[in-house]
Amino acid sequence: MADIEELVEQFKADATRTGAVVYEAEGAGDARDYVLKLAQEHGVRHIVKSKSAVAEAIGLREHLEEAGIEVRETDIGQWIAQLAGEKAEPVIDKTIEQVAGLISAETGQKLGPEPEAVMGAARRYLRQSYINADMGITGADFGIAETGTMVNLSNDGNDRLASVLPPVHVTMMKRENIVATLSDAIHRIKSLTGESVGGQIPSYITYHTGRNTTGDIRGALMARAQGPEEEHIVLLGNS
Amino acid sequence: MSKEMAKRVHQALTDEDLQSVMGGRGLPRISLRQRMQMTGVDFDGLSREIRRVKEESIADLPRLVEQFKTAASRNGSVVYEARDAADANDYVLKLARERGVKLIVKSKSMLTEEIELRQYLEKAGISVQETDIGEWIVQLADEKPIHMVGPAIHKTLKQVAELMSRATGTELEAEPQTLLQASRETLRQYYIDADMGISGGNIVIAETGTVVIVTNEANGCMTTTLPPVYVAVVGYEKLVSGWEDAAAILRLLSRCTMGMKLTVYVSHISGPSRTDGIPGMPGLPGQGPQEMHIVMVDNGRQLMRDSEDFREALYCIKCGACLGACPVFTSVAGHTYGYIYQGGIGAVLTAFMNGMEQAKDPASLCLGCMACKDVCPACIDIPAMITRLRARSVAEDGLSWKSRLALRSVLKHPARLAGALKIGSYLQRPFADEDSMIRKLPASLKPLAETISLPSISPRPLHSRLKGIPSRDKGVIPRVALYAGCVADYAYPELGEAVVKVLGEIGAVSYYPGGQSCCGAPAYFAGDVETAHSMARTNISALEEGDPDYIVTVCPGCAAMLKKEYLSLTAGQGEWHKRAEALAGKVRDFSQLVLELTPGSEKKPARESRITYHDPCHLKRGLGIYAEPRELLEREGFEIVEMNGADACCGFGGETVLNYPELSNSVMQRKLNAIEAAGVDTVVTNCAPCILQLRGGLDKRRSNIRVIHSAELLAGNDKSDGSATSG
Repeated sequence: MADIEELVEQFKADATRTGAVVYEAEGAGDARDYVLKLAQEHGVRHIVKSKSAVAEAIGLREHLEEAGIEVRETDIGQWIAQLAGEKAEPVIDKTIEQVAGLISAETGQKLGPEPEAVMGAARRYLRQSYINADMGITGADFGIAETGTMVNLSNDGNDRLASVLPPVHVTMMKRENIVATLSDAIHRIKSLTGESVGGQIPSYITYHTGRNTTGDIRGALMARAQGPEEEHIVLLGNS
Repeated sequence: MSKEMAKRVHQALTDEDLQSVMGGRGLPRISLRQRMQMTGVDFDGLSREIRRVKEESIADLPRLVEQFKTAASRNGSVVYEARDAADANDYVLKLARERGVKLIVKSKSMLTEEIELRQYLEKAGISVQETDIGEWIVQLADEKPIHMVGPAIHKTLKQVAELMSRATGTELEAEPQTLLQASRETLRQYYIDADMGISGGNIVIAETGTVVIVTNEANGCMTTTLPPVYVAVVGYEKLVSGWEDAAAILRLLSRCTMGMKLTVYVSHISGPSRTDGIPGMPGLPGQGPQEMHIVMVDNGRQLMRDSEDFREALYCIKCGACLGACPVFTSVAGHTYGYIYQGGIGAVLTAFMNGMEQAKDPASLCLGCMACKDVCPACIDIPAMITRLRARSVAEDGLSWKSRLALRSVLKHPARLAGALKIGSYLQRPFADEDSMIRKLPASLKPLAETISLPSISPRPLHSRLKGIPSRDKGVIPRVALYAGCVADYAYPELGEAVVKVLGEIGAVSYYPGGQSCCGAPAYFAGDVETAHSMARTNISALEEGDPDYIVTVCPGCAAMLKKEYLSLTAGQGEWHKRAEALAGKVRDFSQLVLELTPGSEKKPARESRITYHDPCHLKRGLGIYAEPRELLEREGFEIVEMNGADACCGFGGETVLNYPELSNSVMQRKLNAIEAAGVDTVVTNCAPCILQLRGGLDKRRSNIRVIHSAELLAGNDKSDGSATSG
């Protein structure tokens, strides 16, 4: 087991080399401030956010909202919680009637207690949010030190949309979640998905390294192809 | 080789725009493989791992297909197995129609180019938008990709600007950032509006029913996540068993493609999007596609799998490293090949996807330099497959009358060859200059001396200068049989004499076994296995004469024949194979032999001459000898200045020089540029045909740089003026 400090250093080096900006936050407050400052510098008004244990733990959404920035949760459960004005934790204790009511109120579309119709409305509404957003914030299930990669598991794919469509992308990640190699990442995926006990694999596992690029115009390698202009990674320790 | 191909080669080489992009870059300092090794990447280990994964997967393919289908259905995906292009295209069209699809976004996929899916859907009235910027450029130009990874690398900025201006209806400046921004903004709306997304698949994982796609531009993520229906079109050969196997491929794929450790996005997609967020109905379709279809395409792959000779082609991971290393591809670019897959590997794939007949032309372009094999992350022996392709076409259609005359009637018979060249040595006299170089030839022979000055055929070839077999009674003195090879025998007999002299100085005795003939390489690489086989037997017998301890050659092409190909030519032939093995064990390159016979010799004082060493293809990549010549030269006091691309082909390439003199010349010019840029007075190389090519090319440039064999340098032949010291 490699020393976590070494892994962080290696992760930082490779993520930076591939075009990401890595910020090692000194604590919850520092992490919140970094993201807020970044948003303000870019004149960000709308943010789409997917599930992130780190962001939730430090109250990132609330912090940004207090500063007058609109933050939309894109994980369906979290969005419902957000609409209900509850703590940013997915709640399954709601009935379909309650959820239909919340989504109707937000979208202005009258919805009955039919799950498909409710989800259809949610899908259409959130889709516009990705398109309009100035910033996307996502978590990372873990990082890979040897390549500077972030790995995300999801069934819905909202994290993919939030990380690719807006012009600025911020990943919130725990330092302790950096593993050494691609092989370690696969072991981690297997243990997370319980593959050994016959669990179903998530629909999307996305490895994301650095900033998007293209070499297609006259063979010159250029940063920012069709994804975000900027990639930021905020690393936060356990303490 | 057809007239049609010669025409296309000519067009490519005279297309200034294309050449400014392709040829303008010169030779890289070192190869991709060397670069990886220098940065601590265990290329050999990682590529062996890919090789293992691919071998196992293809061997186990039927089981993997079933496993994949089960896992994919469990994930909620729909799998369709398509026999061929028409079958696959029909399935996608039918699906699109059933879903009322009007617009499709598509990420880059060579397979969909192979089956022409986009064109098929467009013909049926459905709009298809390529989203990889390179593919979009190619779509706008209505062309095929020129390179399997960089579809539009041949387009100049001006051309790209014109195409995008027309497409966007705005006048765009020919400036990279402007064009990139226009691409980004234009393509974004297509993702949002599309009713279907289509991708290929770089790897397909059987255990979990997963399609892996790698992209750098982020277009792959959007194509596979935004539209409500997602279709992955994948080849059967992309199947691997599990995640570790996929990782083995990922470890080198990006490195070989873009020189990156990992592509920016690697998506593992295992089924449609789903969510548990809505109470009462877990597993509802989520915010991504509500359907995932996987179309598995055969289109000749099963045939390839069944073919022992060409199965390896299925191990290709489509990284494009071989194209970047190929001197032919980097000269004429991908469209010249005429079919969707380019380069040597492309010729093999074409044979199965389009037909053996169609593969002949692309296969005829190969110089046999083995640079592709050297960088292949799946260790695919592409040159060997090219040779087999040629053999197959000879077996089916026979040889052309010209080749039959040259290979079977002349080369095969030493006496006839000697006779023909003797006549040649008289006929050439009026055309040879005082230094015995031929710089101009008349009439139909004119093209031969156009790009290189030719050496004269010696009236006293090597075989007539060295006579007699030394007797055994000299005891422990090593006995060395000289295998000359045609070029040294007839054009550079002094080179053979230099070898004899140097070996004599270090206490070995050399002699010339009289029965030797051409090694058979021209026949073998032209696909005439029968003639090559007969020559192998002739030489195996001839080189047993006098029972030598070593056999030394000055032509690595011959050495590779004697050491390697004779073994495969005599495979399964009992006694002959044993004799071929005995022969193979004795064959040495000159420098290798000198080092072996003089271990621990002291380094000589430094000399003034600045030299560079050119690695002959067959010596470095064929026999793995590249350190020894340098070691010997340095020991002799020479300082070696490494040129860019020291191991890049000189362009001689056997038949290529005759079939496509323009191509051979283009490859050579880059080499000559690298030589001249090295600032040396001498090029040393241990290969008579390379000497012929480089000496001839430099002479045409009126360069003062001399080209000589190490043996000549050590024998002091360079004391005369260096270029053809005639006999």
